[in-house]
Amino acid sequence: MTGPGANAAARSPGGAALLDEFSYDDDVVRKFLFASVAWGIVGMLVGLVIALQMADPRFNFGLPFTSFGRLRPLHTNAVIFAFAGNAFFTGCYYSTQRLVKARMFSDALSRIHFWGWQLIIVAAALTLPFGYTQAKEYAELEWPIDIAIAVVWVVFAVNFIGTLVKRRERHLYVALWFYLASIVTVALLHIFNNLSMPAGWLKSYSIYAGVQDAFMQWWYGHNAVAFFLTTPFLGLMYYFMPKAAEGPVFSYRLSILHFWSLVFLYIWAGPHHLHYTALPEWASTVGMLFSVMLWAPSWGGMINGLLTLRGGWAKVVDDPILKFFVVGITAYGMSTFEGPMLSIKSVNALAHYTDWIIAHVHTGALGWNGFLAAGMVYWLLPRLFQAPLYSKRLAELHFWIATFGILLYVVAIYSAGVTQGLMWRAFDETGRLSYPDFVETVARLVPMYWTRVLGGSLYLAGMLVFMYNIVMTWRRRPAVYEVPVVRAAPLARAAAPEPEDGHRLGGVFPLRLHRTWERMPVTFTVLVLVAVVVASLFEVIPTFLIKSNVPTIASVKPYTPLELYGRDMYIREGCFNCHSQMVRPLRYETERYGEYSKPGESVYEHPFLWGSRRIGPDLAREGGKYPNLWHVRHFANPRELAAKSIMPGYAQFATNAIDWEVIPGRIRAMAMIGVPYGPAVTDAVPMARRQAALIAADIEKAGGPGGLADREVVAIVAYLQRLGQDIRGTAAAAATPAGAAGAGAPAGGATPAGATPAGATTPAPARGGR
Amino acid sequence: MKLSDIMAHAGLAGYAEVALVLFLFAFALIVWWVLRPSHAAEFQRASRLPLDDEMSPQPGGPRAGSRS
Repeated sequence: MTGPGANAAARSPGGAALLDEFSYDDDVVRKFLFASVAWGIVGMLVGLVIALQMADPRFNFGLPFTSFGRLRPLHTNAVIFAFAGNAFFTGCYYSTQRLVKARMFSDALSRIHFWGWQLIIVAAALTLPFGYTQAKEYAELEWPIDIAIAVVWVVFAVNFIGTLVKRRERHLYVALWFYLASIVTVALLHIFNNLSMPAGWLKSYSIYAGVQDAFMQWWYGHNAVAFFLTTPFLGLMYYFMPKAAEGPVFSYRLSILHFWSLVFLYIWAGPHHLHYTALPEWASTVGMLFSVMLWAPSWGGMINGLLTLRGGWAKVVDDPILKFFVVGITAYGMSTFEGPMLSIKSVNALAHYTDWIIAHVHTGALGWNGFLAAGMVYWLLPRLFQAPLYSKRLAELHFWIATFGILLYVVAIYSAGVTQGLMWRAFDETGRLSYPDFVETVARLVPMYWTRVLGGSLYLAGMLVFMYNIVMTWRRRPAVYEVPVVRAAPLARAAAPEPEDGHRLGGVFPLRLHRTWERMPVTFTVLVLVAVVVASLFEVIPTFLIKSNVPTIASVKPYTPLELYGRDMYIREGCFNCHSQMVRPLRYETERYGEYSKPGESVYEHPFLWGSRRIGPDLAREGGKYPNLWHVRHFANPRELAAKSIMPGYAQFATNAIDWEVIPGRIRAMAMIGVPYGPAVTDAVPMARRQAALIAADIEKAGGPGGLADREVVAIVAYLQRLGQDIRGTAAAAATPAGAAGAGAPAGGATPAGATPAGATTPAPARGGR
Repeated sequence: MKLSDIMAHAGLAGYAEVALVLFLFAFALIVWWVLRPSHAAEFQRASRLPLDDEMSPQPGGPRAGSRS
């Protein structure tokens, strides 16, 4: 397949008859470049807004679609997939064509990839702020968008592999290995983590539940970091660093070892995100061991990148491109030292759920991805726009303010993480928690959050300078771009002839790959797939198939229809971004929250909502802690009940009507993925209405507002009151909220008579799952 | 009997160790392959690929393209 200006057999005079004549498609590279920086600014601006919201909740603006829980996924998705994704595509399209001496396989596929990817980003921006989310970190987008992502990714893969097949350079340079492994693995991760049961056009439930869902999510989540933010950028490093340093990579052998070690090790590391949770302990340990092992190849790669500058360090002084690369690669080294360290269980016990992880992520994202992308773009600008860079001084300015911004950001947020981690675990001399009121541990961080706002603003200012420099350079472009003609010998003519039959892929596809060099990309893809799939299966299968890994608990029952509706609100508002539902078996956790969480408690949790960060307290044992009315008031204005709270208000819950119509479909979807709903499938709405009426009556009786029986607030109260009740084992325990004596609150766990899902009528008294 | 019951009694305690040995073997194989002296010249040439990729002769001269 060819496009305009693409390959043409050269028939020029003399010996040149053996050379192909072709040109590179830089137009698509320019498009990706602009998209990357523009989306980067948008994503970082949203990041700045949510940073402000943590420093002062008034920045939530009292609007549903600007609240922290909805904007945070928009920030992460925009920065990861829009900024870093487009940056990777920029470098990948530029370098691949040159490394293989061939134009991209298809110009049409290149454009479908570009526009398709941007449409997906727009779709993300149009759905996430409105609460359409799957509630899985970095995989929040709903199922129709997931399908679009898979399709566009396959387009990219076909275009990329097709280019490798028709290449004119026999050897596949190591950068291409990194690209290929990234493309293959991301496809695998995306598809398997996003398998879900639709319950409407923009609503679905993960087919996995609880422990399995957590396992799949962090198998995906960690490898999204590995194969979307690390390996593609390492490929870019191995191409653009030698370019900028004007010398070959320090050790090509080391780069190959770097590659295979990462491919073999990374895929195992996911469970380190779930230390001390209800994940089986063996899986957690495997994740830790492989994460610690990752330190070696990661530092091998960092050293390889930095030593590429051997003999040329003096150039760093006045070359902003090298400055960006050196700091970017150093940030890679710091992140990949810290990552293995954080995966060690005892370190993780302190850092998990705190801002330490946020600081770690930003060292990687701002330092490694951001700076590598900036260095690459500055190197590309004069070549792509065929004009000198507008201002080297502005590039230097960008570098220094961004570097200073990163430092301010991470120093403040590391401090915040360690401070909060230590406060959570502090006991006084009488053996009681020193800071029993969770909000104290948040209020202490506010000065650090303001420092982060400053650091983030500097980084964003750097991005604006960057964009200005790009636009001004672009304005200097010639009236018409020159498209240099490249000539290279086709491998087909240089290669030894092989049998004409060749290999017919799968015996079906008409694509005949006759020669060894043509088959190499496919063979390579298969090898990477084998490494990744085998590792995944070894790690994931036991949690799915070995019963003892998820002991069931007889008293754990499905949510009632109203509670499920409330849970969907919890998902819609992104509450899981700030509240975990996973009490770790550590004394300072059980003292604060109660009984630690068991795997069997999550068997109906599609998706799991264990969370990864506690900006607010854990909610796994929330049910019965407060009367219903307390929740109503707390949602209306959190600061009325906890003056230092930074939670956004959700006053709209008391006015939004419950959409009863959607409930049956959602119950049916849950039933289809194995949740034993029984009669609730057909009787969902009356059941929900009965429970809502009971809760509304209780709220009114306790002195709260009346007329809430068809308002959303009763659904989310029903859900919150249910949390942690099942493990207490008896209906009586569930029905009487501790600390709510006299309030007469029929907590969510108290499933109203006749409103109980099948099998939930007689909760077994046994406690299980220890 | 469900598949999970069968798996639970299949005695898979050594399962992870098998993976470890397999992967270690694969890694050793790659190290051996990478460090073979016979690859030195190929790797030397390969390492220069990013530097050589824009040095192709252009006897046809530049072609005009679109402005974007």
